[in-house]
Amino acid sequence: MTKELLLAKSHFRKNKGTTVGIFLLMLIAASLLSISMVLFTDVYPTAQRSADRLDSGDGVIKIYNIGEKDEEFIKELMGDDVVRYGTSYALSYNSEGTISNTDGAEVVINVLVENAEEAFNKTMARTEIISEDTSITDNYIYLPYQLHTSGGFEIGDTYNLKLSVKKYDLKVRGFLENTYYGCNNSGCYEMVVSDNVYDELMELSGETNYCAAVPYELKDGVMQSRFATRVSNDVITHDFTMSAMNVSLSDIIMSRTFMSLIIAVSFLTVNIIVMAVITMMIANSISNYVRENMKTIGALKAIGYTGKNIKASLLLMFIGIAVIASIAGVALSYAALPTVAKVVVAQMGLAYNTSFSVIASVVAIVLVVILTFMATMISVRKINKIVPIVALREGVESHNFKRNPVKLEKSIFGLDMSLALKTLFSNLKQNIITFVVTAFLIFLCVISLLMYENFNRNPNLKLMALEICSGGIAVEYENADEAYDLLASMPEVSNIRKTYDFRAFTNDEDIFIINVFEDPSKMDNTDVCYKGRLPSHDNELCLSGKYAKNNGLDIGDEIKFEYADKSYTYIITGFIQTTNNGARECIMSEAAARNIADVENFMPFYLFDTETEEQTVKVLEDCESKLGDKLMNTVNFYQNVEGSLATFKGIATLMLVLVCFISGAVILLVLYLLIRSLIFSKRRDYGIYKAIGYTSKSLVFQTAASFMPSIIVSTILGSVASYFLANPYMQLIMINFGLMKCTFTIPISGVIIIAATMIVVSFLFAIFESRRVKKIEAYNMLVAE
Amino acid sequence: MNEIIKTNKLCKTFSNGGVQQHVLRNIDLNIYEGDFTVIMGASGAGKSTLLYALSGMDKPTLGEVVFAGETITKKSPDELAVFRRKNCGFVFQQTYLVDSMSVLDNVLAAGLLTEKNKKVAAAKAKEILKSVDIEEGLWEKFPTQLSGGEAQRVGIARALVNKPRLVFADEPTGALNSKTGKDVLDALTKANNEGQSIVMVTHDITSARRGNRILYVKDGEIAGKLDLGKYVSGDKERHLKLRDFLGGMGW
Repeated sequence: MTKELLLAKSHFRKNKGTTVGIFLLMLIAASLLSISMVLFTDVYPTAQRSADRLDSGDGVIKIYNIGEKDEEFIKELMGDDVVRYGTSYALSYNSEGTISNTDGAEVVINVLVENAEEAFNKTMARTEIISEDTSITDNYIYLPYQLHTSGGFEIGDTYNLKLSVKKYDLKVRGFLENTYYGCNNSGCYEMVVSDNVYDELMELSGETNYCAAVPYELKDGVMQSRFATRVSNDVITHDFTMSAMNVSLSDIIMSRTFMSLIIAVSFLTVNIIVMAVITMMIANSISNYVRENMKTIGALKAIGYTGKNIKASLLLMFIGIAVIASIAGVALSYAALPTVAKVVVAQMGLAYNTSFSVIASVVAIVLVVILTFMATMISVRKINKIVPIVALREGVESHNFKRNPVKLEKSIFGLDMSLALKTLFSNLKQNIITFVVTAFLIFLCVISLLMYENFNRNPNLKLMALEICSGGIAVEYENADEAYDLLASMPEVSNIRKTYDFRAFTNDEDIFIINVFEDPSKMDNTDVCYKGRLPSHDNELCLSGKYAKNNGLDIGDEIKFEYADKSYTYIITGFIQTTNNGARECIMSEAAARNIADVENFMPFYLFDTETEEQTVKVLEDCESKLGDKLMNTVNFYQNVEGSLATFKGIATLMLVLVCFISGAVILLVLYLLIRSLIFSKRRDYGIYKAIGYTSKSLVFQTAASFMPSIIVSTILGSVASYFLANPYMQLIMINFGLMKCTFTIPISGVIIIAATMIVVSFLFAIFESRRVKKIEAYNMLVAE
Repeated sequence: MNEIIKTNKLCKTFSNGGVQQHVLRNIDLNIYEGDFTVIMGASGAGKSTLLYALSGMDKPTLGEVVFAGETITKKSPDELAVFRRKNCGFVFQQTYLVDSMSVLDNVLAAGLLTEKNKKVAAAKAKEILKSVDIEEGLWEKFPTQLSGGEAQRVGIARALVNKPRLVFADEPTGALNSKTGKDVLDALTKANNEGQSIVMVTHDITSARRGNRILYVKDGEIAGKLDLGKYVSGDKERHLKLRDFLGGMGW
């Protein structure tokens, strides 16, 4: 082993630059891998542990409009299906509220407002205080922890809680952790207010918003979906003004952790490309070693070294680099993890501190080392074939110059460019590496750009919302005509459409959100129906494409929906794409909804359009002043979107910056390694060129320019291909969430900026790196050889 | 005769592990236009060092080289490269053709440095290749597909293509057998007869006979000079004169 170690040390000394480049690539790979593994292995279990600690059971059923505490009814409702359950009562309603203290944008949120007695004495699905200031004793509110991590609220801040048009300025007393009501992805925020505020809200609200939250643990063998459907139906049958909504623990944990999953998958994708680059670089480095050290290998073999010894020495060197780089990479990942964790925590809304994960670290190190081992083993095979005497004469010819693709006499380019092209063709393998790496990196950058553009810069509402409007107001059904007349009298308001939703079920166990439009043809977002057409008759509906696909349903098929004791079979006229409610949604007309439900029981929402956001604000203010207590809710759509996307915006920006940075680093490292090895292997040619009168400037340009065709062509082709493939790629991912036809906007200007930056930065770096040619002196190269 | 090169107290010292080796010592010499100057000397005498110092390929430690009235010793590496492409041609012992380029491209790569018109440059390159007996069939071959003599004649063509003021040849027949060596010398002699000035380093007396002026380098100094007159094939008297001169130098 000693002689292999000596040889390995010698290789290392001779190839310091190359080993540093490969070391950095391995460092990036191990770091990304470690972060991905920590997110994969730690975040979901953290959410699960938190749920276990809070005794969250299997799910929770919220029973709306229960009116008063009714333990008997709930006991009957749970029946024999549960092992145990707990009940707490609260006010639950949709309200405009702020979830970000920084931008102050108001969004429609579903809140569960409790007093301290109800909140902190739950027997199941407990609510825990994460931090509080008990010196605040009056007019206070406890907020979900996410409003601190993502929303930026601090203890002592003022939070504006609304109920209808009534507003309360409450002091933040602390932050809460609860499994089911702590994250905007889970659809409901739990807020605990001081008794005086709670009593006032109760008085104002009456029975309308009184709700029972019933966490439960199912008996073995009871299917949760069937249980939820039964309970939902029993509730409606018991009292048609009531409704029930089930949320399962697994869905809630998934919704709280899916963004960390997306980050982990994105990091893993970048990592796969970095790993592929490492493989290519190792292969290239060994190939160069064999070519440049043919004589040395011959001499070593002549004095008794076997091919195995030489291979082992190379293996030792690369494995050594891999071990050190991957350990350093894992260490680096723990320096970066707090930043990533901030994004995760902001979205998850749970207290989460990254801790050292042995599994993640070991997996990251082992994977990098195994990849290095395999790449080295495959690349060193040719050493066995080298015969000492042939090697000593440097007789192994690895080049084939049968073709002369760039004839100087006929080349349309100038001399330097023609010679650069000659270098390109004699260095074809390395240029193919550059081509492939650049194309993949461009694709990653375009995907990040797509996410940034559609989730941050210009949110793609047509894909993210069922309907697009400027604003909306909600009133009780008996006040609907008055609300409509008021809106219709305002000159800035156009296209008023009535909508509401309710939950019905099909197939005995699938609970659907039925989105009812008085006239679906007035919908603004007709793109929501990506196949077929929107319903127009009272026996038609548009069904979620994902649900249809999973259940073998097609346009023209029939589907039966049940609500309370009524059912009706509808014809499917088209498919919609939606991510809500596990993609279990449909659209139908009001006439169609009347087949199964008394629509007068639902609270209608009047959506409208205006020219500007200022007009929307004015219209909503006018409605508040003119309708007073009759107005149940208002929505400023643009603010709502802005607020809802706050978390995604941060993640999209982080991903864009990170992916562009890593892509830049990878392409520069690749160029660093390839240019180094090119200059080393062509040093004799550079000597000749200098002797016959080529300047260093000209040779630097030739060297840098020789890599540019592959980078330029790859960037252009990669950009064009990415432009067309990004949406199909996104569709592959988003189809799981219910988006069946992705038409995300990809800004051409952004793609051009990425492509141009890639080309310019690569060229400048290639020029910078090629300056090594200056150090080559013709005399030393030709005479002293 | 017009002098092309004039040196003034030219010195070159190599330092190796703290030990200084003075390879050239205070050399003052002139190289004249139209001459076929041969630099001879024993191994390690400093003849190649002198050749590359004269051509601006290597920097002297002290002294100066005036080439066609221009002091080249103070030029930057890139200025020297531009200077070389216009004024110097090089023929090396190892030919040093670019392996990844065809024969024609090897010559054109030098030719296009001074002649921007590709057609004109290509015509000149082809003409010069023909003049050193490299036939058209070899023009698209690569250096590794040529014999040693062919490769060296391509090297001569490359050195001549820009019609330099001076061609520097460093042991051009050193790696060749006598037959191919003769072909190479014939090519150089032909060029000289056509007016091309040449400075050649050799330790081979047969090669040296081609020169009209012999400089003998010993211990880093010009130990002797001999005017032989123009080369005439089969001139025995010339051979004897050279042999006597070299004998006197301790050859």
